[in-house]
Amino acid sequence: MPSILIAEDEAHILRVLSMWLGRHGYDVLEAADGAAALKILDHHTVDLIISDMNMPVVDGLELIKAVREQHGLDVPFLLLTARCDQDKLAKRMEPYSVHLYPKPFVPSRLVTDIDRLLGRAATQG
Amino acid sequence: MRSGLKTLRRFLTAEEVPRWFGLSIVLIYLVGLGSVAQFGIVQARREGAVHFQRGSLYTIKVLAERLSVLRSSGPSDPKLIGAYQRALREFAANVSTRWLRVVDEQGRVVASTDPTQIDTISADNPPRTSKQAIWEVIPVRAAGQNAPDVFVRARLTSDDPTLTKLGDDQPGPGEAVLYLEARLPPEPLDVSSLADQARMLAIVLVVLGALFVVYRCLREQLRSVSRIADRLQSHQDRLKEDIGSLHIADTIDSVTKAWNDLIDWTQRLHKAVQRSEADEELSQVLQRSGGGALAEALSAIPDGIIYIADEVRFEYLNSTALRLFGWNAHEAKQTALPEAKAAGVGAKILNVLRDALQVDGSFEGRTEMLETDEEIDHDRSTYRLRVIPLQRGHHQGECVVVIRDVSQQIRAERAREEFITQVTHELRTPLTNIRAYAETLSSGMFDDPSVITDCYNVITKETRRLSRLVEDVLSVSQLEVGTIDLQVGDVDLKALLSDGVRDVRGLADEKNIDIQLVLPSKLEPIEADRDKLAVVVNNLLGNAIKYTPPNGNVVVGCQLTGDGVTISVKDNGIGIDPADHGRVFEKFQRASDPEVQSQAGSGIGLYTAREIVRRHRGEIELISEKAQGSTFLVRLPHQETRAAALNTTQEA
Repeated sequence: MPSILIAEDEAHILRVLSMWLGRHGYDVLEAADGAAALKILDHHTVDLIISDMNMPVVDGLELIKAVREQHGLDVPFLLLTARCDQDKLAKRMEPYSVHLYPKPFVPSRLVTDIDRLLGRAATQG
Repeated sequence: MRSGLKTLRRFLTAEEVPRWFGLSIVLIYLVGLGSVAQFGIVQARREGAVHFQRGSLYTIKVLAERLSVLRSSGPSDPKLIGAYQRALREFAANVSTRWLRVVDEQGRVVASTDPTQIDTISADNPPRTSKQAIWEVIPVRAAGQNAPDVFVRARLTSDDPTLTKLGDDQPGPGEAVLYLEARLPPEPLDVSSLADQARMLAIVLVVLGALFVVYRCLREQLRSVSRIADRLQSHQDRLKEDIGSLHIADTIDSVTKAWNDLIDWTQRLHKAVQRSEADEELSQVLQRSGGGALAEALSAIPDGIIYIADEVRFEYLNSTALRLFGWNAHEAKQTALPEAKAAGVGAKILNVLRDALQVDGSFEGRTEMLETDEEIDHDRSTYRLRVIPLQRGHHQGECVVVIRDVSQQIRAERAREEFITQVTHELRTPLTNIRAYAETLSSGMFDDPSVITDCYNVITKETRRLSRLVEDVLSVSQLEVGTIDLQVGDVDLKALLSDGVRDVRGLADEKNIDIQLVLPSKLEPIEADRDKLAVVVNNLLGNAIKYTPPNGNVVVGCQLTGDGVTISVKDNGIGIDPADHGRVFEKFQRASDPEVQSQAGSGIGLYTAREIVRRHRGEIELISEKAQGSTFLVRLPHQETRAAALNTTQEA
């Protein structure tokens, strides 16, 4: 079962994402911020990471840096962001190969996109 | 002596024209003096020569008389010839002659100082035709000789009728006629006059040459002078309008250059006069319109205003401009742009002005933003500087400079951008939740009743959060444009505070925060806008719960004071660093504490609260230390002290 790490400080979003991905057959690891996510990565192998941009302690930007540079992981990385200057952000993220995902998002679409990223046929229920 | 030296020095250092002129005069004078002297010498010599010749002739005459008295038996009488010979030899010592001789009528030499001549007939002797002349002087020119010798002939007479008949023009029959002849060397005059003539000629040539040189030297200058005269003649009518037309372009000798310089100078002078006339006019206008009042008005403007005249002169600076340069009005008058000095932003202003000054003396219009180097509250001031060149007729080199402090505008702009970013972010978070949970409900994939209940709860809560946010933004914009009106009425503080606490009870319970409401037993209603005060209480309580860790406590109180009422909201949360106390009340600003930044918030709540309290003529006070909890005190003055103020607020 592919495992997905979600780093998100907004509890409601974390919960709804976790619900949807769990229902679609993913093993979900939850982290309330970037620091917690890095701790999980120390002990677990993941196939994909979803992270919020604005988080306390370690934010999305620091997390992707740590994932790519310190952990040397090249797994797909989805960055959820509510910022309006997405173009600027995309430029900054260029060296890290990141999928920017704007908020608000539709959970079913997100699941479909993740399926495609991980090379899985669209799963149903 | 000294004055002579002075004259000489002045002569040597004088301008070219007078020097050449003076030199030529001196030269001509010297040459004239020389030629007069020469003429005198020549004249004296000529006279000397005449005297000399006269002397010789006289001597010969004496000789002739002496020979005439000699008597003999005939011309060939040896005694007579011997006497002639002796007499000739004796006289030859006294007279400078080539020879002296006695000849008979046939030209035969009877006696001579030159012995080779005796008994010869001298062929070169002119014929002895004149019988009347007792004596005559005949010039004789020998071959190759420039000056002729003088040939003197005297007819010798004798008392002896048989021999000669002297003193009688007609000789008797058989009378022997003898002649005394002498050949004198040419007159000294003739010999010297050639050299004298050559000398005179040389002098004349030198004088002519000197005159030619002087003429050559003066010619260009004389031409320039005549050209100037022509120019003056032909431009006489236009002189007033255009002095520049008198410029002479095609020669560069010193006279023309001096003339052109003079014209330039006159032109400048003319312009200066015109300008001063115009300035006079301007100052008259200023005085008519009450110059003092105008200057006062200009000084009251918060923008710096500078008026530069004549390219470099600080003609006027208002008080703001003086402050930017750090000068006083007197200093400014004494300062010219090139050497002006100022510190800080003043130096930058001067640099821009010097840069805007063009080569031709006019100013180039430009607008520049200048940032100060020194920081105040982590922020630099920014000035917008505009150079506005003035066009007043012929006048160049004038400009007005306006310097405006735009720091506030820039800060506001930056804050507005931040606000939009913040608000967008804040709006998107509840929207994301609502959308995600709504889809969860509608997908039908999650039919667990507890999940469905959760979904409804989240949607309700997030919708409320969204509308609160929208209200906040709305109230800020109302406060901004000043359209917020206070609906003043009796407000029961007890009810107001109880409602406020009840509204946040849910949030507090989530974090297990204890809220206490402490009120005095008797609390009279106050006159205020109930809804607006409710916003203040809600914002303060919301912050207290947001920034207090779980299991903390919040105390809401109300005390009557001498001049009004004070509402207090006290928590034991993360506190606020005193350095941030001013900042937290600013629009869209939040404390720099990372713990605060990690919480959602737009930086509107405290700004709105303070603005509302201020509309009520009250004030919010903050007592807090980092990690020591915070206490916000809302002081509202009594109705009496506030009545007048309220009126003015409403009128505004």
